[in-house]
Amino acid sequence: MATKTSERPKTSVDLITRLKDNLPVVLVSIFSVILFILIGIKGGAPQIFNIIVTGGMWALLATGLALVFGVMNIPHFAHGESFMVGAYVAYFVFTPLNQFFLSTGSKLLIYSGPFIAIIAAGLVGSVLGIIIEKLVFAPLRHRTKEGWIMNAFLLTVGLSFILTNGTNLILGPNFRGIPRYFDVKPVEIMGAFIAVDRIVAAGIAIVTIAILWFFLRRTKTGRAIRAVSQDETGAQLVGIDLDFIQTLTFSLATAMAAISGASLLFMFQAYPTVGVTPLYFSWYVVMLVGLGNIAGAIVGGFIVALLQSGTQLFIGLSWQSVVPTVVMILVLILAPSGIFGSEVKGIQEQ
Amino acid sequence: MNSTATYEENKTVWQRIVSFLNRLGFSPLGFGLLILVAVMPNFYPFSQEYVIRWLIMGAFLAAQSVAFDFTAGYINIVNFGFAALLGLGAYTSGIFANTTPFLLFAPGLSPWLTIWIGALMAGLVGFILGILTLRLRGIFAAVMAWFVGIALMGLVNNLTDLTRGPLGMNPVKFIETPNNLPYFYIILAMMVLIYVTLKLVVGSNIGLAFKAIGQNPDAARASGINPTKYLVFNFTLSAFFAGLLGGFYAHFFGSLTPSTLMHTSKTVEVLAIAYIGGRGSLWGGITIAFPFVFFIEFLRSNLSSLPGLHLVIYGVLMVLIMIYYPAGFSGFYFWAAAKVKALFKKS
Repeated sequence: MATKTSERPKTSVDLITRLKDNLPVVLVSIFSVILFILIGIKGGAPQIFNIIVTGGMWALLATGLALVFGVMNIPHFAHGESFMVGAYVAYFVFTPLNQFFLSTGSKLLIYSGPFIAIIAAGLVGSVLGIIIEKLVFAPLRHRTKEGWIMNAFLLTVGLSFILTNGTNLILGPNFRGIPRYFDVKPVEIMGAFIAVDRIVAAGIAIVTIAILWFFLRRTKTGRAIRAVSQDETGAQLVGIDLDFIQTLTFSLATAMAAISGASLLFMFQAYPTVGVTPLYFSWYVVMLVGLGNIAGAIVGGFIVALLQSGTQLFIGLSWQSVVPTVVMILVLILAPSGIFGSEVKGIQEQ
Repeated sequence: MNSTATYEENKTVWQRIVSFLNRLGFSPLGFGLLILVAVMPNFYPFSQEYVIRWLIMGAFLAAQSVAFDFTAGYINIVNFGFAALLGLGAYTSGIFANTTPFLLFAPGLSPWLTIWIGALMAGLVGFILGILTLRLRGIFAAVMAWFVGIALMGLVNNLTDLTRGPLGMNPVKFIETPNNLPYFYIILAMMVLIYVTLKLVVGSNIGLAFKAIGQNPDAARASGINPTKYLVFNFTLSAFFAGLLGGFYAHFFGSLTPSTLMHTSKTVEVLAIAYIGGRGSLWGGITIAFPFVFFIEFLRSNLSSLPGLHLVIYGVLMVLIMIYYPAGFSGFYFWAAAKVKALFKKS
């Protein structure tokens, strides 16, 4: 893989060569801006806000995916199932809680209900992540590291199968949804009426990503996670407990997916295969920006949301899954390691 | 004297038969089992219509796992769009055999012909997929195949003039008969055809090249193997047979919808069978598929209060095999055979 040159060109003459070196990024940025303007003209403020909400959610999901790949080298196929679990937990916590809070009549309690549900989903998600890591990946890791990426991928495929069908078995194929989290009037922003739920969902996505960013950059454990993602052996040499870091990472990623599932419950009702669409889109994001690139995943989330929204607006709702897929196929052909390139260990070997 | 001569002669005849079968990819035991399965539906407990249907499902799954293992087990690329290729074959065949006038296109050809058109179509897309995945390895190749599969499924969903989209289309059947038995022999013949063809390919120099590429593409290239040629050939052949099986599906069930045929979870089912059967053996999937289908159908009919239990078992088995016994059933068979042989040598 081509390594980024360390000397940065300073003069404006060199700017052109710099742009040339980063051609995929430049092209994608230009394309995104044009698409954004077109969508803005045709769809107006509601559509733009829609992009922010879905983009934030795809970013949240994709960050988890990137984290798991970067640190553990697992291409996570069961990420959508974490989303599904989050949606179910939020439903089963929120519905009775809301009933109870409504009976008390306290405004504060009623408005805190959704947040309790979303936090509960995050907690259940993190516990689920720990269980899966200890039950599935730890044994495989201890048995063999040979062909790890592919084996881990197929394991997550099996997991997704178990979780989807297990949920179907226990809870049935019924749709469980809520009309809205907050029973208040939509807020008017730039002449468009936007549901409070959407604003809260976008806020949650941004806050969660910010917290994660802070955690990875500023805390000791976060630095340890990044160290493992850069060089596993080196991290082990300086005394980082690999098992702990890997379990923590998986748990974090699962919790993030569960949180996004919970906060989008008003859009995606909970049913066994609800995770498929989020899974597709979060995979589009990580393939676009490069597997394991966490910072890129945040930007990529919004690019994919743009693409999705543009398809919806200009081509038709039912092509929503086709057009982004074709774009991703093109990305895979032209820039297999993503537009930003991923500097993660061990991708190309296996 | 005379008797020993005939004994010798008998032995050589027997050996000749064995070596002939070996060349086709059957061990005597395997061939015996195949004959057993072939005559099975003519005898009472297996001659009931629903049991024949199970056998058909078993053979269908077995044949799919052979075609899947040809890619996954040899060149080590998991074709995640396998079900979509199968669905493409099914839809192509269904459209060419279509007689319904309200659709855009109704040539009404015989299904016996159209399944080959479907297979060629799938083979063509497999060829393209092979070229697309050339530069990619491992997970990237799998994701590429997966994305192509999603795109194909989306296409089928959207070209409503041809396929009726999510409503599903109803292709004509091979034979208008209430019996399932003819269909069983059709799919069994297809299964044997696919198995023998692929086994012959794998047994030749091409198979060696596949294995070399699967283990280390760079080393293979260094020793003078052209990965491009072999990768594309492998994908094309695997997709061709997937399309052929899709044609069978279309004209046996007589109903096609994108989500029941082309969804990723269908690939996962085939993948589970191929992996439980043992990677890189081709026959492992066949031996597992039949008992598996019987077991699953048994569960489904006896525990109908728990829908989808069989799928959970599928997943759990696959995960367990992948973690603790990656050699699968064929690996176990070779291990057991070696043990038995050692036992006989001692005594």
